[in-house]
Amino acid sequence: MTTAPLKPSRGLRRSATRGGGYVNLLYLPALVLFAVFMIYPLISGIGLAFTNWNGYSEARSFVGFDNFARLFSDPVFATAVRNTFIFGIGCTIIQQVFGLGLAIALDKPLRGRSTVRAIVYLPVLVSPIIMGTMYYLLLQYNDGAFNDVVVAFGGERMAWLADSSMAIAIIVAVNSLQFMGISMIIYLAGLQSIPEMYYDAASLDGATTWQQFRYVTVPLLQPAFATSIVLNLIGGLKLFDVIKILTNGGPGYSTQSVSTLISTTYFDSQSAGYASAMGVALFAIIIVITIIMNKVLGSRKVEA
Amino acid sequence: MKSIKAISAVALVATLTLAGCSSGANGGDAGGDVTIEFQTGFAVDDGEMTLMKELVSEFEASNQGVTIDLIAAGTDYESDMKVRLAAGTAPDIWNTHGWSLLRYSEFLLPLEDQPWADDVIDSLDETMRNDAGEIFALPTNIDISGLIYNADVLEAAGVDPYGIESWDDFDDAADAVNSDTVSPIYQGGKPLAGALADRVVSGTFDDDDLAEMLDGSFVTPAYEEMLDLVQDWGDSGYFNPDYSSASRDDMAKALAQGQAAFMYGPSLLFDNAWSFNPDANLGFMPIPTTTGAPRYLVGGERTAFGISNKTENPDEAKAFIAFLAENDTALAAASTSPPGLTTATMELGKLQPSFEKWMTEEEVPVLPYFDRVYLPNGSWESMQVTTDVVITGQGTPAQATEQMKSTYDSLRGQSE
Repeated sequence: MTTAPLKPSRGLRRSATRGGGYVNLLYLPALVLFAVFMIYPLISGIGLAFTNWNGYSEARSFVGFDNFARLFSDPVFATAVRNTFIFGIGCTIIQQVFGLGLAIALDKPLRGRSTVRAIVYLPVLVSPIIMGTMYYLLLQYNDGAFNDVVVAFGGERMAWLADSSMAIAIIVAVNSLQFMGISMIIYLAGLQSIPEMYYDAASLDGATTWQQFRYVTVPLLQPAFATSIVLNLIGGLKLFDVIKILTNGGPGYSTQSVSTLISTTYFDSQSAGYASAMGVALFAIIIVITIIMNKVLGSRKVEA
Repeated sequence: MKSIKAISAVALVATLTLAGCSSGANGGDAGGDVTIEFQTGFAVDDGEMTLMKELVSEFEASNQGVTIDLIAAGTDYESDMKVRLAAGTAPDIWNTHGWSLLRYSEFLLPLEDQPWADDVIDSLDETMRNDAGEIFALPTNIDISGLIYNADVLEAAGVDPYGIESWDDFDDAADAVNSDTVSPIYQGGKPLAGALADRVVSGTFDDDDLAEMLDGSFVTPAYEEMLDLVQDWGDSGYFNPDYSSASRDDMAKALAQGQAAFMYGPSLLFDNAWSFNPDANLGFMPIPTTTGAPRYLVGGERTAFGISNKTENPDEAKAFIAFLAENDTALAAASTSPPGLTTATMELGKLQPSFEKWMTEEEVPVLPYFDRVYLPNGSWESMQVTTDVVITGQGTPAQATEQMKSTYDSLRGQSE
């Protein structure tokens, strides 16, 4: 049987058109603010990347693509790019694993699950600066709680942030633990949108719990995966606050991300033009990764 | 629909990543009655800030109609000032903290015609006056420092600080004091690794090297020699185990409580240390050289106040600066530093013996901070990080020196 598509009546269409115009007016102020505080700085920032401005002086000269050429021969920038990928990918993986695991566990009708959900989500509400400071105090060599525990078990005090690999691992862990609540919420919403009848049907067909998860839950969670992964990836690639507080990019330059290096280069090294070129490069990196991730994750989308 | 989504995604990502890379240009000071905005650069609880509040009240009482808007510094004073200069919203008066000439002079009024200008001490001429003899700020004090030490710690280990004349002597002293509870050199990597380099480096450059640096050629061997010394200290276990996480406060506390024998940093560390332990027996000594030149102290502009060349009230601002010059003895004493004017009297309290020993008796030369004269403006960060690289073993002195040379070349190119 075929059915002709329903056409809206003329009156309904007129109403929709008028409604659309009204809606346009409503978002106009937001659009203006967005243009003033986001688009203008963006364009201005790109313009700066072609100058040798020091960040405060009135003097500046056009230097063409010199700043971009310098990026390719700068070992510090290469280190920052490598770290940025570690932060982005590392945080994303940990947040997906913990976020999804917690979402599945807390989707079940357990006593006190609302309280546990709130506890997992609460760190998201804390400023990363404050969270970083709390961990910094815990990780201090003298008077730090971690070292107190180590000493209590007969060990020797450690300089936790003195080794670059350890410091990078700590930064990834701190950021992931703080923001896994966001992934949990996204996956919880996704799980609750999957109709129960699919699981009933799968049970009748003899599917095990693992098979139900693999062939029902995972495919129908694709939109949640896409949202959570892209958000976490962008957050990880832009990581700034926790690094500034815990290591300030050190020892040496070994834990710099591109974001922290931009800040250091702009304000401390007084090379605003070069810092802007780094910003453009980071922008390009995130754009490319976001588009690829959207393509990959979007192609697997399954309608429930 | 897809294209709208794509454009939205691009715009979002773009703005989130680049929003911090722009400059604005809105200007204009608040108009109206005569109000002078005075950015002090002091923390709220600084001794200098407390005194400044009293002086401002006194000035306002004798200058009806003039209000001095006294502002304490935030945690990132230098970056805040750069943003205000870029935005064209500089305060009427601000603390130039060592950079009145190299960084801020294009934004400041020349003040050599002021009544106090001829009284500025001679040793500041090199870093505060330009070739035309112009000076852009009133120095209320000067920062003179050397190798800071805890005399009680040295005495307990049988070390005479006055007997340390070479780096070999220093190594012997460090070996003598090194123990589980005392670090020969206590340094905070994040705040003051660069302070160590900035003080030691003048002793590895001879006059020819310095002339080359001024001409635009980075002298790699001399800089690397300084970092070799630093690496040797690290290899010998002289640095504190919490070097990577130690803050400026940690340094002051360690100095005050006898956990540190030596450290490198600004004279402000003395005040901080005495706030933890007023009875700490502290002093400073000149820094040895490797070139055969005599030992030296380093010094230069510390607290200095300049007037914006965009101020709408230059006469009132100059009158206030002149009033501060008249009170320089008190301002310098509040910072436990020598005054910046010859007309003021030195009241250094517990630091007086060190000053008398080295400045009066021995007449040790006071060299300017290396980075303010021989490195281009903006090199400090690189000096800080490259020293940290060597101390933490992330790189060799040769690699760190190469990085420093790269910074020197690019910043000189940027300023030309």
